Amino acid sequence: MPKKYLKIVVFLIIAGGFLSAGIIHARTNEVVVYVSEDQVFSEPILKDFEKETGIKVKALYDTEEAKSTGVMNRLLAEKNNPQADVYWANEPIRAEYLKQEGISQAYISASAKAIPDGLKDPDNYWTGFSARARVFIVNQRAPEKPHSVADYTDPRFKGKAMIANPLFGTTTTQMAALFTLWGDEKGKTFMENMKKNGVKLSTSNGESADFVASGNFDFSLVDSDDVFNRIKQGKDVEIIYPDQGENEPGCFMVPNAVLFIKGSPNSENGKKLIDYLLSRETERKLAFADCAQIPLNPGVETPPEIKAIRTLKVMKVDYAEVAKKMREIQSFLKEWAR
Amino acid sequence: MAKRLTLLFFVVLFLIIGLVPIAAMFLKTIYVDGHFTLRLYRALFDSSREWGLVGNSVMLAFFVTAAALSAGIPLGVVLSKTDLPFKSIFTFLFTIPLLLPPYITAIAWSYWVKKEIWFFGLPGCVLILSISFLPIVMFLTMAYLKSVNPGIEEAGKLLSGWFGVLKNITIPAIMPGILLSAVLVFLLTLGEFSVPNFLRYKVFSNESFTQFSAFYDFNAATVSTMPLLLIAFVILLFEAIFLHRKTQESYGMTPDSDRFLVIELKSSKKWIVILLSLASFILIVLPFAALVREALNLGILREALEKAGDSLLRSISYAGIGASILTVIGFFLGYLIYKKALPGWRGVDMLTLFFLALPSAVTGIGLIGFWNRPATNFIYGTPAIIILGYVACYTVLTSRMTISGLSQISSSIEEAAEISGIKWWRRVFGVLVPLMKRGLLASWLIAYIFCLRDVGVTMAVYPPAHDTLPIRIFTLMANASGSLIAGLCLIMILSTLLPFSLFMLSVPKKGMA
Amino acid sequence: MNAAEFKSVGKSYHGKEVLIDFSLAVEKGERIVLLGPSGCGKTTVLRLLAGFIAPTSGVISITGEIVAKDGRNFKEPEDRGLGMVFQDLALWPHMTAKENIEFGLKAKKIPDKERQERIRNIFGLLQIEDKINTKPSLLSGGQKQRVALARSLVLLPKILLMDEPLSSLDFELSFKLRAEILNLQKNFGFALLYVTHDLEEAFSIATKIVLMKNGRIDQIGSCGKMKQYFENIKTR
Repeated sequence: MPKKYLKIVVFLIIAGGFLSAGIIHARTNEVVVYVSEDQVFSEPILKDFEKETGIKVKALYDTEEAKSTGVMNRLLAEKNNPQADVYWANEPIRAEYLKQEGISQAYISASAKAIPDGLKDPDNYWTGFSARARVFIVNQRAPEKPHSVADYTDPRFKGKAMIANPLFGTTTTQMAALFTLWGDEKGKTFMENMKKNGVKLSTSNGESADFVASGNFDFSLVDSDDVFNRIKQGKDVEIIYPDQGENEPGCFMVPNAVLFIKGSPNSENGKKLIDYLLSRETERKLAFADCAQIPLNPGVETPPEIKAIRTLKVMKVDYAEVAKKMREIQSFLKEWAR
Repeated sequence: MAKRLTLLFFVVLFLIIGLVPIAAMFLKTIYVDGHFTLRLYRALFDSSREWGLVGNSVMLAFFVTAAALSAGIPLGVVLSKTDLPFKSIFTFLFTIPLLLPPYITAIAWSYWVKKEIWFFGLPGCVLILSISFLPIVMFLTMAYLKSVNPGIEEAGKLLSGWFGVLKNITIPAIMPGILLSAVLVFLLTLGEFSVPNFLRYKVFSNESFTQFSAFYDFNAATVSTMPLLLIAFVILLFEAIFLHRKTQESYGMTPDSDRFLVIELKSSKKWIVILLSLASFILIVLPFAALVREALNLGILREALEKAGDSLLRSISYAGIGASILTVIGFFLGYLIYKKALPGWRGVDMLTLFFLALPSAVTGIGLIGFWNRPATNFIYGTPAIIILGYVACYTVLTSRMTISGLSQISSSIEEAAEISGIKWWRRVFGVLVPLMKRGLLASWLIAYIFCLRDVGVTMAVYPPAHDTLPIRIFTLMANASGSLIAGLCLIMILSTLLPFSLFMLSVPKKGMA
Repeated sequence: MNAAEFKSVGKSYHGKEVLIDFSLAVEKGERIVLLGPSGCGKTTVLRLLAGFIAPTSGVISITGEIVAKDGRNFKEPEDRGLGMVFQDLALWPHMTAKENIEFGLKAKKIPDKERQERIRNIFGLLQIEDKINTKPSLLSGGQKQRVALARSLVLLPKILLMDEPLSSLDFELSFKLRAEILNLQKNFGFALLYVTHDLEEAFSIATKIVLMKNGRIDQIGSCGKMKQYFENIKTR
């Protein structure tokens, strides 16, 4: 074949390859899920789904660096041409945000029936499952131990406490929840006093947990799975559920939340995945995994160290209100974090 | 005609891949809610705090560049132009930080440094980033040294010792390469986010990230890159006006010459070996030993390989494909710039550097905005989008290396082919490419390293189930054990080392005393 | 029809005029030597005719066809049918002597049989048959010169341009090669445009000498006329 024609043929083959990749991408039996829950915990669940249903799962995970918001940005940027079918959020506030931005659509899963009303969207745009509690990780050698979030402003703990950057992740959510509970003035005062009491900022819950475990700080607010993880690694730390006393608000719960994406390219498979994630079996697996998450379905088997949700004093909040509050206090948090 | 059409094709390709998506993004920042406005820009420049952060970024970039140059130039000279023993080992050791995202070098150091306060802040950032970018200065110094006409050094040697020759003749002769490395290091540091974030040093690139991550405000995030881009633009202008002539000057040897003067170290050899051993031990071996110690366990390595899984193969293949495409595009754009073959060549050169300075999050969002349409799903929904990201960010590396290679070939070599009736394509592939073989291979390798270690733009655009190894490391970092992360980093280093070692073995040793 | 013609050709670089109002006709078979000090514009004339640069003003034509005018080249160097021997010879170092010569023939799609014949002939003419498979780095100065000459001549150019081709050779070799160039010119019949700053070399080669100074033609004439001119300068 003359050389010039050979070049054209090679070019067409390569171009054809790209085109087919795009077409094949649309046609195979698959579901695309964006995941903010740590890959270490979420991937086994998704692989089990794949095995049990034969539906290929294509997952996109968040990274520590993106602080659980990288995937959010992708969903927002892809709004006009969604690539994902399902979003597995690691907390409900961003699920609320996506609902408000028109990214998600309503879906009532049969698996969601038994999940408490306060932990799912009344309009069925998201459903909570397998929760973490916002708890203290405390170094066992700390001379004094905190019991309330308000201890961040206690002079006893001056310079000994750490908190993850409140601009990101579950820390933002918790701050927004406190503002919802206390009102803006008390919330701002609390944060200013926290700063005056020498609180140090880390870049993530994981980093906070590591700094406490290594003895640099006495305690930090983190997610319960961060503590269980360090305990399993043999670190010298313990877990304290804050604000469990009378007249105290209880600890803030952060359930995972699953959403059905509007314009989902594989909607039937997306619904199947949502049903699977909300199932009792998934909650059981997540309870027994290192993340040690608290099931929301009643009667799900859990390991002994996990407190059943009914035994905990849980902060009563409206997540939609918390989501709204989060947007309102963003500028304040940004200033505070500088 | 063939020359013009081909070069125009590659310019248009680069513009479509890089400029058009980003321009579309910037257009959205001035055309808000149906009308033109500079509101976002005014808000940016009203705050004095923003300028403080800009100052921090510039200061960090300045210190890192100074440190990388101070260490990288002597290192490049010693490792390529002397009779020092164990040169390959030292070269390998000092290259290691370049093979990993700087964030991982910071983590390795944090295992070792632990509670030291000084590490968290400007000094730590300068340390980590200068170690990470030092190899760029080192390699460019080594590459440009090879092109110095030995005659001018010999002429100098008649009048002075080697120190005087290096100071007054050799180093000035390779100034274009040194200045290029300085520009690259400066721009890479300016756009760096992960290390200052980890070490809690507030820099301006944090601002862009914050706008994206915390507020999902793409327009504000794009606008927030303005100060950094202005600084980058000033540097590019400086380079274009003051250095342009210098970069075109060639001190080239004709490629058929084997002569390369080597400095005999004599009594100082022992001391330099000790110094380099100490430096590499403290700066590289000790911190990474913590990583290696964690990972040197068959069970851990097996688990790491399992966790790395297909992401390792993807990393290698995407980096390989990216490097190949970058080498081709970089070659033609470099040719265009060096030969000034089309009007607007200077704009093309500046654009390639501009994209290196642009924060990768902005590049990523721009690519998503442009390519995420049903009609272009065959690009957006496939690894092709990652490759486009690589091309947008790293073309400057391969185009500049091409320029360096071309400057070592006398212009009469191509003119002789021209006047012999040989058309442009044949001249390129029959004359220029064979003469630039080594340079093109080096170009491919540099592109491969940067593509392989890329996190920023890959994270922004990679399609589901197409994560690369650095992304896999980051996603697992939150909860995986230190040993597993160390194992994954080790695999990453090895996957970069393989082509690097093959390249070093394929390059014939060159030198005479 | 002349082999080449320059009509009021000027060339400027960054506002500096390096060639001013240069007019010269190169007849077929003529041997013109451009003589003058460094920087007077001799090489610029060659490069303008070759097509590597375009004139700022004026017209250049080759065998009656306009190839450049007022800042534009209308014909690429590869289409002008010229040959050039560069000052640094510009042999392609990755090719053997034979490959250096054959490259241009292949590009012109000369059939293999004719190609090999031309190569054989030129190597024989220049007496470098034993160096046919040698790379330039292993050739002596004189051998490199011959290969550079062979590469240009094998394409049967209308005009051969030579830019100080013998400047790096010793006197004996230079003398020998000058004679060979004259011989080749007689054989092939090309016009020769030759640049040198060596007076003796100019007189031994030229049928016409163009003395240049500061970008202009200072004097132009036959060897005899120019010898007289230089004598007059000496005695002044």
